[in-house]
Formats: sequence, structure tokens, C-alpha cells
Amino acid sequence: MNPFKLAWTYFRIGVLNELQYRVNFFIQLLQSAIAVATGLIGLSLVFGQVDNLAGWTRSELLAVMGVHILMGGVIRSAIQPNMERLMNDVLNGTLDFALTKPADAQTLVSVREFRFWQLTDVLVGLVILIVAVIQIQSKMGGLQIVAFIAALIMGAIMLYCVWLMVTSIAFWVIRVNEIVNLFEGLYAAGRWPVSIYPDWLRTGMTFLVPVAFAVTVPVEAITNRLTAESMLLAFGLTILFLLLARGVWLLGLRSYSGASA
Amino acid sequence: MSPVITISRLAKHYQVPEREAGMKAAFTSLFNRKYKTIKAVDSITFNIEPGEVVGFLGPNGAGKTTTLKMLSGLLHPTSGDVRVLGYEPRHRPHDYLRQITLVMGNRNQLTWDLPALDSFDLQRAVYGIPADEFKRTRDDFIELLELGDLVKKPVRNLSLGERMKMEIVAALLHKPKILFFDEPTLGLDVTMQRRIRTFVAEYNRRYNATVLLTSHYMADVEALCRRVIVIHHGHILFDGDLTSLVNQFSSYKTLSLSLQNSNLPLENYGEVVSREDGKVTLRIPKSRASEVTARLLSDFQVEDLTVEDTPVDDVIDQVFSQKEAA
Amino acid sequence: MRRYIDYYLTSMKVAILSQIQYRVANYFYMIGMITEPVIYLVVWSTIAEQQGGSVGGYTPGTFAAYYIVWTLVRNMNIVFTPFGWEWRIREGMLSAELLRPMHPIHSDIANFAGWKFVVILLWLPLAVFLTWVFKPTFDFSWLEAVVFFIAIWGAYLIRTMLLSLLGMLTFWTTRVSAIFELYFGLELILSGRLVPMTLMPPWVQNLSNHLPFKWTFYFPIEALVGSMTPPELWTGVGMQMLWIVIGASLLNLVWRVAIRQFSAVGG
Repeated sequence: MNPFKLAWTYFRIGVLNELQYRVNFFIQLLQSAIAVATGLIGLSLVFGQVDNLAGWTRSELLAVMGVHILMGGVIRSAIQPNMERLMNDVLNGTLDFALTKPADAQTLVSVREFRFWQLTDVLVGLVILIVAVIQIQSKMGGLQIVAFIAALIMGAIMLYCVWLMVTSIAFWVIRVNEIVNLFEGLYAAGRWPVSIYPDWLRTGMTFLVPVAFAVTVPVEAITNRLTAESMLLAFGLTILFLLLARGVWLLGLRSYSGASA
Repeated sequence: MSPVITISRLAKHYQVPEREAGMKAAFTSLFNRKYKTIKAVDSITFNIEPGEVVGFLGPNGAGKTTTLKMLSGLLHPTSGDVRVLGYEPRHRPHDYLRQITLVMGNRNQLTWDLPALDSFDLQRAVYGIPADEFKRTRDDFIELLELGDLVKKPVRNLSLGERMKMEIVAALLHKPKILFFDEPTLGLDVTMQRRIRTFVAEYNRRYNATVLLTSHYMADVEALCRRVIVIHHGHILFDGDLTSLVNQFSSYKTLSLSLQNSNLPLENYGEVVSREDGKVTLRIPKSRASEVTARLLSDFQVEDLTVEDTPVDDVIDQVFSQKEAA
Repeated sequence: MRRYIDYYLTSMKVAILSQIQYRVANYFYMIGMITEPVIYLVVWSTIAEQQGGSVGGYTPGTFAAYYIVWTLVRNMNIVFTPFGWEWRIREGMLSAELLRPMHPIHSDIANFAGWKFVVILLWLPLAVFLTWVFKPTFDFSWLEAVVFFIAIWGAYLIRTMLLSLLGMLTFWTTRVSAIFELYFGLELILSGRLVPMTLMPPWVQNLSNHLPFKWTFYFPIEALVGSMTPPELWTGVGMQMLWIVIGASLLNLVWRVAIRQFSAVGG
């Protein structure tokens, strides 16, 4: 079955399932609202002291916040639930169910979970982004928008690959649940443009856990900071990460099946 | 001697919201909540004397656990009176809690990552047991249950049966006078069950403790309890000797025949329960037992014949199914 | 009284022995947790440098000191969460606690207190690493160190009371996660966790003086890192005691009502 069709099927099931719990929507909305409020308070504290932070204006930082929340919603609705389930499956030996289905195992374990109500964050992030863009009044041509969307997609793919690789460590080390904490911490750093961080941290956030490509680069597309080099680098890294992730996954699978024989 | 446990017209009712399936019902229930009263325990009365070991029998949902929880103070009664050792359990006075213990079959009180010995020490501190008395009791129990070096292994590395033994030791270190056991042998193998039963019996003998035990396993009840209380749908169906229970509710006896030819028509003699090669089992009314036995012996070539009371399990089943029908 | 001391010591010993076995998990958690203060630190150091070296009385060096001490205080602040209360009631573990001749709060306090010792030990190398990377400006007196040590335990107790009160809401309803999130949001702003309180607008600072949050976070950090006078230091400790007493009394009251609710419905 082709991966997109598979993803769509699971998506539909997930949505039907979660629509039952309408209350979750309001709880999620409230949580997003609180996150936005604290973010805005943080921003106003910063801009009570300065007009720009390392060259980024207030509206630009608002845009960063919007994309950060949006991407966070994508992670928490589509990527994280699948990876956590994969971790547990490897821990409990229940991965076998996924492996015996007539579909590519990597695709299957990557699309079978979907938390519909987390999409609220995508909506909230989008709203904030639009507000910020209006404030910036930047010249948003079609090219910028295309670049923005492309950067977002590549960033998301890269994050997925890194998640998958780290989760695959579970094939050898078994207990990787605590790594989630690390991820969430590193992702939180993406709330601010990567350029303000010391070099070592910036490198980590670019090449290790590519939060930079998930958040900062897409915003650069909108704020006219994007260079062709960044886009090329993003593209190259995406391919590299995809190949690496696939490789690690297959290696891990071999180790798993071998062990349970 | 005055009873240690007195229960008088004790009742526990719950108000449960009632709702049909479907979206429409879900919406209307937001505005117009309908409630149903569930009578988990519906006016029960009994007394227990010190030193008694009483079995509490009943199917799931009968009210056994609810009653135990009311006796240990975890649940407040809806109405009626309950007193244990002169205390009202629901106030949970510390002096009362020091004299009781509640052991539940599949609940874990021990610290998971550490040897049971550490959990025992914690119990000592919680209950304020003097150090030497604690050591004596602890070592005594360890010997009685033949735990040996198992107490030094982390609890997570123990088997289910070994863990249960540790739980029981931990529960009894403060030498409580009243023991409430809720399905203590659940999930254990036969040897383990027997060990625990022996231990409880020994504890009861030594300390004249009062034991109230619920169980699914008739073997537990048969081995430990002289008195049983049968509860169903929150009512007490029976309160007395185990043997009286069998006599009162079972009007049948089981007849096992060993014959050369087991294909003989035996329906006229009684209900055929099972038929295998060379062996037939019949169920006959008690009143006709001797008559039928005599006829069988004279009519057929019987190699062996036994007449037994109905197994207690079957009696209980019958009791409940009778009440269901009623 | 002696029995309680005995119980606390035994409980703490058991907690320490248990938690030592989870060193790795604890470490991962702590490492994940330092990203938050590092973010705040980097942002505010950037601002300080842009403003010519300091902002709100803090230089990058003193910011670094603030946020490094932050990591220890944050760890001391971790107590049994309101979500944990919900879980505990659902799993029936609360019943086991209720059967003991001792208030369940003691086991919570004692367990976490023991755990804190392990945490402090594990934190030390992390602190060394952070000091090496961010080069804080440290300057404290013996008095400040002593008050700091008292204050972190005071913070621990205050937060235990507050979160237990919050957790007891779950006796009445399970739909409380929204309330908890709201609480944590407020706490973030008013406790000094986001930024040192002196960087907040005056009306916020005024408000936080009348609330317990500041005494769980900002006060312990400032005691060590800032320049409070001895009277100010001891007044602060006094305020902590006051909030502990208030918290404990409220806890007592609410508990009595809560337990009646629990016993009516059962667990």
C-alpha cells in the first residue's frame, strides 16, 4: 500500500476516534492559550528593554513564536505519538504486530497514530504567524510563500528523521523514554532565533536536532533573510537525514528480529 | 465475650448517572441528569467473635469488597451501624488502624526496587513497632514462610507467589488483631496457596486474631473457615457452618459408579452427569440416595460405588443461580 | 514525635536507595530540564550586552549565576504533582495510604525529601559544567549560603503544600488538567522562574510579594546570588515559614472535606 494512502487511512480513523472527545478540544485550546500568553509576556518583557534582539524585531520574533507553536503542533499530533508508541512496542515486544502487516514497516510505525486535537496548536500558530506577518508588512510574494512552505516541510521531515533515529536506539538500548525529555528541551530552545545562541549550541540545533531548520529558516523565508545557500543546505540535509534514518531503521529491525528468534 | 465486629443493617448505596448510548442522549444528559441507585450492600447484619476465621463468599459485585472497605474505614456507609473493636471505622482513628490490616490480592504495597527487608523496616517506622519486638516478629514470619534469602532480593525480581508472601508478612508485622483479606491467593499456584493458608491459620492460632476472608477459591474457605457468610446482590444469603451450607442448599448427592459396561441405561436412576469408559457419575436427590444405591447394586455388576456430598463449589453456584432465578 | 522523626529518616533512606538505582533516568531528566534556563540566560545575556553590559541590574555574569542556581532550585521545587494525585486515586494507591496510622502527606514529603538528596548529588557535576560554559559571577557570604540552604527546603515545603492543595481537587472532579495548566502559567510569571522579579513591571512585583510563588523560587536564588542584607535574608525565611503554616492549615482543612468526599464514593 502506498505510504500516502496508508497515512490517510490512519488519519481518518484517528480523527473519527478523537472527535468523540470534544472536551479535549477546549482543554487543548486553553493550554495553547496559556502557552501563547506566557510567550507574549516573555516577548513584552524583552521588548520593554530593547527594540530588537540580535537584529530581530518584535514582529519578527512574534513570527518565530508562531512557527514554533505551529511546528510544535505538527510534532505533537503526528510525530511524537508514533515515536512514543514505537518505543513502547520495542520495549514490550509488541512491534511484531506492525511487522507482520503487508506494508512497509517504517511507514506503518510512522503514521498509525494521530492526535487530532493537537492540531489546535497548528491553528493557533498560524493565527499568530499571520498577525506577525501583517505587522511586519514584508513584501510577501509568491516566491516567499513557496519558500516558506518548502522550508517548513523540509524542517518537519528532518525532525521526523531525527526522532526516528533516536527512537531506533531502543532496538539496542531498550529504554529510551527519557530521551523525550531531552527532545522537548531542545525543541523549546527553538522558540528564539538560532543566531542568538552560542556557537556550540547553534551547531547542535542545526545539525543534531535540526530545530533551526524547523523554525528559524522558515521564518527567514518570510522576513527576507533567507539565502539560497540556506535552502540548498536544507534540501541537502533533508535527503541526508532521510537516508540515514532509513538506514538506522533497517539496521535496528534486523537486530530486533534476530533477537526475538 | 463481646464480639469484635458488629454490623447492623449496614447499607451502601451509590447514585450512578444513567444514560443511553448515542450522541442525542449524550447531549440531553448534560441538562437532564437521570440517576439510578445501586445498592452495593443492602442492609446486612452480622457479628464476629474474637478469634473467628470467617469466609465471605459471593460472586463479583456481590458486595464483599464494599463491606471490607466499610470495615476498614475506606468507605463511609450510607446507613446502618458498624463497629470494630469498639471503634467506628470511618473516623479512622490511628489507634484503630494500628490494630487492623487489609490485604488485597493484586495490590502492591512494597517498594518495588528494593529488597523486602527495607519495606519491612518502613512498616516498622510507620506503625511505631519497638525495635526488638519487630525483629523477633519479622524473623519469626520469615521462618514460618520459609522465605530465607528471598527477603534480600529486590521485590521486582520476585515471582508473584513470593511477592504475595512478602506482602502478607509486611501486612502482619504490627501484629494486628483483625485481618481483612480480599482475595489473598488470587493468581497463585496450589503450593503457594497452601503455604499462605497454613501461615494464616498459624497466625490466627498464635495471636487469636480475627480473620475475615473473601475468596473465589473454595479451597481457601474450606481450609481456613468454619463459618461462612454468603452474600449476593448486597444481601446475606447464608451465615453459618460450611457443612450446614452444603446441607441447606444442596439437596443432591453425587454418585460415582465404576462399571464394566458404562453404556447401560441409567437415566431411570438419576441424572447422568458424566459418562466415560468404565465410569459413570449420577446426580440424585438426597432423600432417594439409599434407595437408588441399593437398586443399582442389585441391578448391575458394580465394581465400585461412592456417594458424596455435592462439592461446595457447585453448592455455591446453585445458591447463586437459584437467587438469580428468584 | 520521636516516631515521626524515625519515620522520616527511614522513609528518606528508602527513597534514596530506590532513586540511586535510577541515576541515568534522573540525569536525562535533569539535562532536559536545563535547556529552559539556558534559553532564558542566552536571551537575557544578549539583551544585557546590547544594552551596554547590564539590564535591570544584572550583567551576563550575574544572569548566569541566577540561572545556574535556578537549576538547583527548580529541582528542589519538584514535588508530587496534581496529576500524580489523579493517578494515585485512580490506581487505588490512596486506599493503601489511608489504612496506615499516619497522614499520607508525610509519606509524600519524606519520599521526595530523600529523593532530593540524590538530586543534589547528581546536580553538582552539572553545575560545574554550566559554570565552565557560562562563566557566572559569583559572590556570596557564609550567611547567604546558610540562608540559601534553609530556603531551598522552605521552598520545597511551600510547593508541596500548594500542589497538594491543587491535587486534592481531583477528589471532586477529574477534569482538572486545565486548572493545573492555568496555575502553572501563573506560577511561571510570578515566581521568578521566567526572569528575576526585578525585571518585572512594579505592579507585578507588588502582586508577587503577597503571593507564595516568589518564596519558592526567586527568594532562594536571590538569597545566594543577590545582595540582600541580613535582616532581609531572615525576613525572607520568616515569610517562608509563614507560607508553610498557611499552606499546612489550608491543607488540613481541605483534607478533611476531601476525605469525606473520597469515602463517600470510594476508590
